[in-house]
Amino acid sequence: MKTLKLLFTSKKFVFGLCLFLTLLFLGLLFPVFNHKDPLDLAGFMYQPPSKEFWLGTDNFGRDVLVELIHGLKTSMFIGLLAGTVATLIGVGIGLTAGYIGGWVDNLLNTITNIFLVVPPFVILILISVSLQNRSLGIMGLIIGITSWPWTARAVRAQATSLRVREHIDLAKISGMGTFEIMLREVLPYIMSYIFMAFVLQVASGILNEAGISMLGLGPSNIVSLGTMLSWALLFEAVRTGAWWAFIPPALTIAFITFSLLFMSTGMDEIFNPRLRS
Amino acid sequence: MNPYFKYLSRKLFWYILTFFIAIFLNFFLPRLIPGNPVSAIISQMATGGVNSESLERLYESFMKEFGLDKPLPVQFINYIKNILKGDLGTSFSLFPKKVTSILGEALPWTIALQLPAILTGWIIGNLFGAIAAYKRGTFDKVLFPVALFVNSIPYYCLAIILLYIFGVYLEWFPIGGGYSRNLIPAFSWTFIKDVLHHYFLPYISIVLVAIGGQGIGMREMSIYELNTDYVLYSRLLGISDRKILKYVFRNAMLPQITGLALSLGTMVGGALVTEIVFSYPGVGSWLFNGIRQLDYPLIQGSTLIITLTVLVANFIIDIVYGIIDPRVKAAQLEER
Amino acid sequence: MSGKKLLEVKDLYTYYQTRLGEKIKAVNGVSFELKEGEILGIAGESGCGKSTLGISISGLFPPPLKYGKGSVKLGDVELTNINHSKLRKEILGKKISFIPQSAMNALNPTLKVKRFIVDLVKEHEPNLSEDEIIKRAAERFESLSLPKRVLDAYALELSGGMKQRTIVVISTMMNPEVVIADEPTSALDVSSQKIVIKLIRQLFEEKIIKSVIFITHDLPILRHIATKIAVMYAGEFVEVGTMEQVIFDPVHPYSNALMNSIIVPEKGIKGKKLPSIPGAPPDPRLEIQGCRFADRCPLADDECRKAPIEMREAKGRLVRCIKV
Repeated sequence: MKTLKLLFTSKKFVFGLCLFLTLLFLGLLFPVFNHKDPLDLAGFMYQPPSKEFWLGTDNFGRDVLVELIHGLKTSMFIGLLAGTVATLIGVGIGLTAGYIGGWVDNLLNTITNIFLVVPPFVILILISVSLQNRSLGIMGLIIGITSWPWTARAVRAQATSLRVREHIDLAKISGMGTFEIMLREVLPYIMSYIFMAFVLQVASGILNEAGISMLGLGPSNIVSLGTMLSWALLFEAVRTGAWWAFIPPALTIAFITFSLLFMSTGMDEIFNPRLRS
Repeated sequence: MNPYFKYLSRKLFWYILTFFIAIFLNFFLPRLIPGNPVSAIISQMATGGVNSESLERLYESFMKEFGLDKPLPVQFINYIKNILKGDLGTSFSLFPKKVTSILGEALPWTIALQLPAILTGWIIGNLFGAIAAYKRGTFDKVLFPVALFVNSIPYYCLAIILLYIFGVYLEWFPIGGGYSRNLIPAFSWTFIKDVLHHYFLPYISIVLVAIGGQGIGMREMSIYELNTDYVLYSRLLGISDRKILKYVFRNAMLPQITGLALSLGTMVGGALVTEIVFSYPGVGSWLFNGIRQLDYPLIQGSTLIITLTVLVANFIIDIVYGIIDPRVKAAQLEER
Repeated sequence: MSGKKLLEVKDLYTYYQTRLGEKIKAVNGVSFELKEGEILGIAGESGCGKSTLGISISGLFPPPLKYGKGSVKLGDVELTNINHSKLRKEILGKKISFIPQSAMNALNPTLKVKRFIVDLVKEHEPNLSEDEIIKRAAERFESLSLPKRVLDAYALELSGGMKQRTIVVISTMMNPEVVIADEPTSALDVSSQKIVIKLIRQLFEEKIIKSVIFITHDLPILRHIATKIAVMYAGEFVEVGTMEQVIFDPVHPYSNALMNSIIVPEKGIKGKKLPSIPGAPPDPRLEIQGCRFADRCPLADDECRKAPIEMREAKGRLVRCIKV
């Protein structure tokens, strides 16, 4: 796997990956050691950071640090789920459109473009607003369903250029079915792009979750980074100067996204020879 | 036929098609889930202790008023008819105010905020990105992670942080609203100054994040262009670096314009949530209120307006792009 | 042919530095002289370093290409350590010019041809007005039988052959002394190839340009244009002689093989040669003991692999082989 070795020579990629994994493990391991429930009313409202509450309490009197870590876990989960869903759909559509070409391509391309231009956020709002119970899984699913067009477009471009390569002709001559060719002859070549797209989709998933939660359409009864921010806004945390209620979640969202974007920039420099310094 | 005209009419057709699909989605998506919005509202009211008989009557009158008692396809046709008339329905929560009038007041605020902010961010971002690509070295190594970080912060997160630092802590700027409560809108200098004062923080948060995003993209495009064959050829012929940079930036700008069109949907979304942070009287805040009160007409009206605005903006960008890039004209010529 | 010596290359070594820190050898000790009135053809397989040699001669070292050692002298000026701005203003485009390999992509897609020519000429003769430059360009185009409409066109409005001819004219606008043409005919069909070669000959005969270095993998084509030929393999010259000598009586085993390789017109691989020489060139990262061609050479034996082979005189020309 020379590609993997090459990938690890990119400082940007390694840095981003480490940061992301650190945050991920923090979110996963912390609850194992600390069994507090984030929704517990542990203290008075808007207590500033102290030895007892490292990040103070929010408007409900809950421990912000505990909320933060759980929220981290939630947001990352939704982001990863959404990223996976979006990548799978995007690759499926993009690969089919790019490889098969013709009217299938035209149709899929038009659909992709439509869902690219109509703000996905809007569709997300319209779907979420009518859902009574918004569980983690459902949130991840619908965010993924609304953000695939970007990946589809990128994958289609790659698939189209691969369509004319010699080894594809060889495969066709040897009687391989279309689906098989797509899976075995085209897919391996674009794995690097798919991986990059996945990273970006996860980042976008996390941002979308935060955004939709800010509007009040986040996962029901579960703490996420976005819901923390929306509570802070709704309950005048800013006005009262309770910075610990919103700055930590805001920065955490930024750091997660930052690590992912950094990873993808590193990958881009490796996979795209034209971009090398 | 003039190739440009062909290009335009094809694009126009596609946009109209997209708009109809948007209307379709706008109407049907919220209705996919069983149960209707009126019962949700009525049940909310029920907890307030209204007796069940009046609730029944309220329910019926609401249903009739909003045409929810008719079959779905009929509702849809009525919906389209109304849109074409410019009627986006009546708000549930601000009954009997019309959605169109609510949003009509809010839209100018939104556009006044987002249009300059996005444009400024785009221009400055591209400039920074191009300079970073050219200079490489320390300028690039320092600026890049910073820009990436700023780009990673959602608009509203940066907005909250800025609001806190500059509004609450330093008290340089007001914490919300479009203008001070004690002022009456007028074309006076006091009013305008006040509006600008309120305008600055939301404007800056959008600009900063936009700079981050655009800068990164432009830097990438510029690096890509700097490594092309025509740049090498120009250098081999002794053409100055300054000239070559002009070539590179012009060529790198073009995909940036399309990139702007593509990311417009997301940018607008983020900017809207920013409005909420600042209680800015634009479409975003009304959308938020609508969601909180399950005011379906308001929600649907807002999303439709947002979609329409994004479509129009995209169309304008497509037109501009067609004029600027000679490759577009040539592609049209080829297809004859 | 005893014209003025225009270009002198001595023991030039250049290499590529990869991201992983490896040094990939490109030009491995090349020496030659180019006199006024000569057309030097440099022929070899893809990857032998001939294109890199072309760029290295220009003095411009676009990363990841790096200068190793040796000298490139244009007249009295040493190009390997010259001040960059002097290189750009006085040498590039003016005294030495380049006809690139991928003419397809060499023109800025968003610039009209005449705009580009104006930019080029203004760089070297800043006192000319734009109109004067366009007039001069139109005259040059006309005298070389290129349609004037090309000036107003964008690159993608031109056919492959027309693009190549345009590049040739643009590169020679400033009447350079040395023109380095890197595979100018490789991407063209046979009739376009003929036209481009005729064009270069015309420029040469009208003394608009004084000497040419014609780089190609297609050794037989040099018959129509070269006066001197250097065969290149794995970064060094293996045979240097007159056109007649190398084309009709190749001495080095590699030159022999090149001249006799078959062109197989398979679908999609137009003009590509299927070498009848088994094996492949040596890994450019490794140090080779002895002759670089030994592994593929029908005449090779142990003596060939002991020490690096120098150029020596044989049959009236220079050959890098101890077996002929």
